Amino acid sequence: MIRFLVPIVCLVLFFVEPIFGLFSPLSIGGSLYYVVPRFLILFLIFLTVFYELRHALFYGLFFGLLYDVFYIDIIGLYSFLYPAVCLIAAYFFKKIPQNLLSATLLALGLLLAMEVALYLFFQLIGLTDAPAGTFLTSRLWPTLIANALYLGLLGWVFRSMMVTQDPQRGTKFGLY
Amino acid sequence: MPQFLSNKRLILLLIGVILLVALISLTLRDRGQVSLPEQIVKEAVGAGQSVFSRPAHFVTGVFDNIDSLINTFEENRLLKARLEEFAGVQAEVTDLRSENEELKELVGKEEDLREYNPIQAVVIARNPDQWEEKIILNRGTNHGVKENMAVMTAGGLIGKVTIVTPTTSTVELVTTQNPNYRVSAMVLGEDDVFGLIEGYDAERRELLLKRIDFSVDLKEGDQVVSSGLGGIFPKGIVIGEITEVTIDEFGLTKLAYVKPAADFSMLNHVVIADRLAPEVDGEDNGMTEDEEEES
Repeated sequence: MIRFLVPIVCLVLFFVEPIFGLFSPLSIGGSLYYVVPRFLILFLIFLTVFYELRHALFYGLFFGLLYDVFYIDIIGLYSFLYPAVCLIAAYFFKKIPQNLLSATLLALGLLLAMEVALYLFFQLIGLTDAPAGTFLTSRLWPTLIANALYLGLLGWVFRSMMVTQDPQRGTKFGLY
Repeated sequence: MPQFLSNKRLILLLIGVILLVALISLTLRDRGQVSLPEQIVKEAVGAGQSVFSRPAHFVTGVFDNIDSLINTFEENRLLKARLEEFAGVQAEVTDLRSENEELKELVGKEEDLREYNPIQAVVIARNPDQWEEKIILNRGTNHGVKENMAVMTAGGLIGKVTIVTPTTSTVELVTTQNPNYRVSAMVLGEDDVFGLIEGYDAERRELLLKRIDFSVDLKEGDQVVSSGLGGIFPKGIVIGEITEVTIDEFGLTKLAYVKPAADFSMLNHVVIADRLAPEVDGEDNGMTEDEEEES
């Protein structure tokens, strides 16, 4: 069942992201707030910690590549970042208490790291000249808040979806 | 730790990183040209994306309708007031149009930079990470779209086509930070003043109109439209209006801040302008003379 469920969820999240992107930037009180939907990578982090790293790496590479080719036109950016984030997630999740809250916090922390890395990259290649302060207030916080909301709503759905499908659930402790 | 980075994995990781850096630098250099596999991926993802964007547009459309229903009374009152004015303007426009045509016939001028063939398109996606201001449309070379064509909404110019595949096209919005993004523009007034839209002030959210003759007087509120002299855009697409005039960083020419006329926040239906007059290389495709000499 999960063999079909995971790719379908990934595909839907991949296609839904740019549609939510259409609503951004939000203008509240005269200033613009960029809200970047990061549904797919957050799902992949959950897949890493609650199901299996190798699946997450594969989907990360595949959808990262699609993302690069279709939206970004810089091939290798997201197809590197997605699997890298999953690897780091797998490494850190072993060292912290393993429950839904810690997974959510870990995912948001990694999202923050990814946004900062992207900001540095785009500044390096000269696509943005926004100062760090503007980046923080108009992009990083709104993005984190919106994605935290998304994880808060759907995180437990993802977990229950993966946990019931895990073939080794009897042999792992502390996860359930 | 040994589990995470064993020798074999370390080597694999290093090779992967090197490959990726090579790929990134390669694709950064020649943008605009799309290789065949890229094109196939773009087509496939574009088809999937239009399936998802259609219901989304429907839902936002319903909300828009409700929103406009609420404002109907106020709008109706305003429109009625404008209607009387409109009849007069309409008569004047027809009169001027026929006169223009007669005069054109008189001088034997057939081609006009103003005329273009509109291609209707729907926005199927906006670059979700929003670092580069890009949108993707559901029209491509099959429908006659070519690189560097102007894209606009009812409000005014929003961008130009940067990449085309047979059924999709990528549009870079004028609010980009890309330094090679230029639109030749002019300021309407007693005498038309020519300049280049070059760059975007992200904090003010206004475009920069550069290279204006120092001796020319510009006023705030003057309209800025595309001039058609850049080689690809038709003439007369509204860009925005001037909000402030200053002197540029070298003190040799003037610089004007232009508030864009189009609304960039919820883009849905757009028009691609296929100019009827023959297209030539010019500022509109981001090439200046010295750059062309270099390449």
